Amino acid sequence: MKTFDPVTLATPFFIITVILEIVLARFGKLKADYETADTAVSLTMGLISSLAGVITAGASFAAAVWIYQHRLFTIPMTAVWAWALVFFAEDLTYYWFHRLSHERRIWWAAHVNHHSSQHYNLSTALRQTWTGGVAGTWALWLPLSFLGFPPAMVAIEKGVSLVYQYWIHTEAIRRLPRPIEAVFNTPSHHRVHHARNPRYLDRNYAGILIVWDRMFGTFQPELDEEAPRYGLVHNLGTFNIVRVAFHEWIGIAQDIARSPRHILGWLFGAPGWSPDGSRDTSAKLKAEWAARQTAPPRAERDAA
Amino acid sequence: MGGLFLDPEGERRQLPAVNAAALIQFAISAIAVAAMVGLAALATRGRGAPPLDEATARRWLADEFPGRALDGLWLAADGKGCVARSDDRALILTRMGHGYAARQIAWAQVSAASLQDGRLRIPLGDVTAPRAILAMTAWPPKELAA
Ligand SMILES: [Zn+2]
Ligand SMILES: [Zn+2]
Repeated sequence: MKTFDPVTLATPFFIITVILEIVLARFGKLKADYETADTAVSLTMGLISSLAGVITAGASFAAAVWIYQHRLFTIPMTAVWAWALVFFAEDLTYYWFHRLSHERRIWWAAHVNHHSSQHYNLSTALRQTWTGGVAGTWALWLPLSFLGFPPAMVAIEKGVSLVYQYWIHTEAIRRLPRPIEAVFNTPSHHRVHHARNPRYLDRNYAGILIVWDRMFGTFQPELDEEAPRYGLVHNLGTFNIVRVAFHEWIGIAQDIARSPRHILGWLFGAPGWSPDGSRDTSAKLKAEWAARQTAPPRAERDAA
Repeated sequence: MGGLFLDPEGERRQLPAVNAAALIQFAISAIAVAAMVGLAALATRGRGAPPLDEATARRWLADEFPGRALDGLWLAADGKGCVARSDDRALILTRMGHGYAARQIAWAQVSAASLQDGRLRIPLGDVTAPRAILAMTAWPPKELAA
């Protein structure tokens, strides 16, 4: 069976829809917030990430082929049931890849790039990491090849997922019909994922199906009373693309140099982990936020 | 993940023999990126964020530093940021896109910073925000000079 890359096929569609979103927003036909420097960084990140991918794709694909040679079953790439199966298996793998990418700093160092814009539009979807291959998270997909899915089939399905996730990076679509919001990852669900509001942090890791978040307890609906504020807990103060691409890796290196005996914590702790707990992790920010909801603000307390 | 603009088929071919098709594809993508950025610049001309006013600054500071009382607030003359004092800490906002980046450092570091050509340069010592540059008419503020 001839293989293909869904992402390559979709690239003209990416370009046309970004242009449409910019133009229609300009004439007030839809909601989209573009800013030149931010758009330039997002699109350049995407462009260079395709080059960075070339360097590691060979190695990761070779690993998948090697594993496939020792597979448990032989799953035909031509059967419809096999595609149905790989759809669910890949999407579940994506959920855990994405969750790990947010919960452990070494993998967050690669994934943070996708989240560092304070804007949320179609160009944000193309804001992709340069260091995903180095972070090694591609290994999470190897069990699929060990099960017997041909590596090309897994690669195609990964591409399908990436293309699916493109169109949900928009503020132009508010809510879709209930059955769709119940089952699929949608613009509304993914806006929550990109939000830095404490109650929205580390939620909605879904690729295509939001059902995994509902199953594993990480689902959070978008609330009308709380508009998402996008970006990082500590937003970037620079558009310098080298800093944008590598800041968390540099941060890890600085922390290890400062306190080598905490290397495991610096690498595998949650983002924001520190030996004395003085920095902000999502768990800490969520707890502080929850406490503020029940306690009166400081000014009122002081006055009482 | 990777391979946004190139095909994995091409990627799978022997490296480092980068093939011409992939290079052409990359060049077209690069031109498309330039065109999209240019269009964004054109479409958003004159539609940047409004200058930071006191109400907006206070709202941002309340979100970024919940529960922190402000002892003073100084807006940049060009509306692109502000410095606030909270006890011995300086809370700083600098414009990023249509939003702001917020950082806090010791107040002593900020009060010691000096104006150069109407700009206050505050080193933040952070890879993601190396320095804040704020347009100020006078520094340190008169009310704190005593
Ligand atoms: Zn994410
Ligand atoms: Zn996203």
